[in-house]
Amino acid sequence: MPAVEVRDLHKTFRSGWFPRRVTHALRGVSLSIPRGVIFGLLGPNGAGKTTLLSILGTLLLPDSGQATILGHDVVREARAIRPRLNMASGNSNFIWSLRAPEILAFYGRLYGLYGKALSRKVDELVALCELEAYRKVPYHELSTGLKQRLALAKALVNDPELLFLDEPTLGLDPDISVRMRAQIGALRRERGTTILLTTHYMREAEELCDEIAFIKNGEIPARGTADALKRQIRIGDVIALRLDPASGEGLAELPGVLRCVAQDGRVECTVDSADKRLSQILSWLHEQGVVVRDVDVHEPDLEEVFVELAK
Amino acid sequence: MNWRSEAGRFFAFANRNVLMASRNVFFVFELAFWPTVGVLSIGLMTRFLELTPEMTAFLLVGTMALSTVQVCQLDVSYAVLFDVWSKSVKHQFLAPVGIRHLAFGSWVVGVARGLTVFSLQALLSWWAFGFDFFEAGILRLGAFLLGCFLTSGIVGLLVCALVVLFGTRAEVSAWATVNLVMVFCGIYYPVSILPDPVSTLAGAFPLTYFLDAFRSHYGFTAEFRYPLLTGFVLSALYLGLAHWALAAAVTRCRRTGLLLKLSE
Repeated sequence: MPAVEVRDLHKTFRSGWFPRRVTHALRGVSLSIPRGVIFGLLGPNGAGKTTLLSILGTLLLPDSGQATILGHDVVREARAIRPRLNMASGNSNFIWSLRAPEILAFYGRLYGLYGKALSRKVDELVALCELEAYRKVPYHELSTGLKQRLALAKALVNDPELLFLDEPTLGLDPDISVRMRAQIGALRRERGTTILLTTHYMREAEELCDEIAFIKNGEIPARGTADALKRQIRIGDVIALRLDPASGEGLAELPGVLRCVAQDGRVECTVDSADKRLSQILSWLHEQGVVVRDVDVHEPDLEEVFVELAK
Repeated sequence: MNWRSEAGRFFAFANRNVLMASRNVFFVFELAFWPTVGVLSIGLMTRFLELTPEMTAFLLVGTMALSTVQVCQLDVSYAVLFDVWSKSVKHQFLAPVGIRHLAFGSWVVGVARGLTVFSLQALLSWWAFGFDFFEAGILRLGAFLLGCFLTSGIVGLLVCALVVLFGTRAEVSAWATVNLVMVFCGIYYPVSILPDPVSTLAGAFPLTYFLDAFRSHYGFTAEFRYPLLTGFVLSALYLGLAHWALAAAVTRCRRTGLLLKLSE
């Protein structure tokens, strides 16, 4: 049984009275996420990432379609789901004058912890998220990084089987982001937690996610591993050559070569796969008596995939 | 169901209200300043108007009811208001908690704070104006206070429902609703002097009956038959309806997306 199964999910928001504004946040999203993976949800602002996450987290009711979490329907069986999942977001807030251990204890109790088990869990999370030195500091006096760490600690209070992370490194300093990503990776590795992650940072997605879905205008036009996505949208790899003589005439006609551009004394050939085509191109150039002075192979990163898909 | 987990959920909300109350000077005003001002100003007015001890009792009972209900219902309202003010509503409704947990947990703290307000006012009334709240007997006083606290629970839940439905625009209802209710319940006058349709409407409020029952021990003829019984039956009915109203408001909030907007 997959951790998350979504079929033809629709959600519309209505606002204002005259004129009545209607926003289609999700338009028939379907998705399946196996257990124990980190699944990335990428997309531009307003694409529907948070809406989808909120529906799966039972915070929002869909208009139509079906979503099941750990085998339970998110609408009809929300009570069975809530103890087994949790969520942290990059812009999480908590009550201003409570301290980190008090906030964790409050949510721990809501998830059914009590007595020594609660105290142990609070201490464990305070240590895990390196909040020891800030035990006595009220929430509103914590820095952004500490607040995010507390949000992650709160999301782990019930040892969730499924964890939703909505832009968990938003606005963090690079060094803190690196540590946060390490913690997220460790959660999957050490506890087997299934993680659904939304992010704007391609590097984060590429580093953490086993699989990625790209969401745009409430639809998922592409999904797969980072490598598969790159192949799927056919951006292609770039083989840059410095040739003597400089003309690369005829290269564009070779199989697997998508296009060739000559500029600044170099010829840049976009190919479907550099692994497959590089040797063919070099052989062909050799046969033509062209000397290859320099070769540079460049694979597209996920950011380029994102830009391409967001067009 | 594990009863200790269940009790822990009630305690979570109670403990949170206590922590918040202990760290905010505004709560001292709620607990001491306004109730003291209320009793002193009304008590001194009875002196100025040279009212009889019965009439003084009538007005002081009303003052005490107003302060107690207000303080207690605020605590119930805080169960949602704290999260709305701190933009953390979604965390509460993501967790496996029910309306009963947030309502009862915070109501218990409201009762404790209401009893503190009552004790302060009773002491002041006795010391400054010679009025003894305990003259009616512990049981009757207990029934009256319970009535006040049940009314607080109902008003608090309705305020929570309004806040969940309309967001921060409705937070003023936390302070306004109870005053509106008090106008109908005859806080400083018998409801019989209200204009006809309003007087009939007053009969729909449980506090009207609790005030009527308690004042009858200070020389006033009860306006209703079986006021205590009617008050408790109405309270039970309205508590059920208020619980349903808040649950329905939360469901609507999940549908419209306001639950997320309140967390941004």
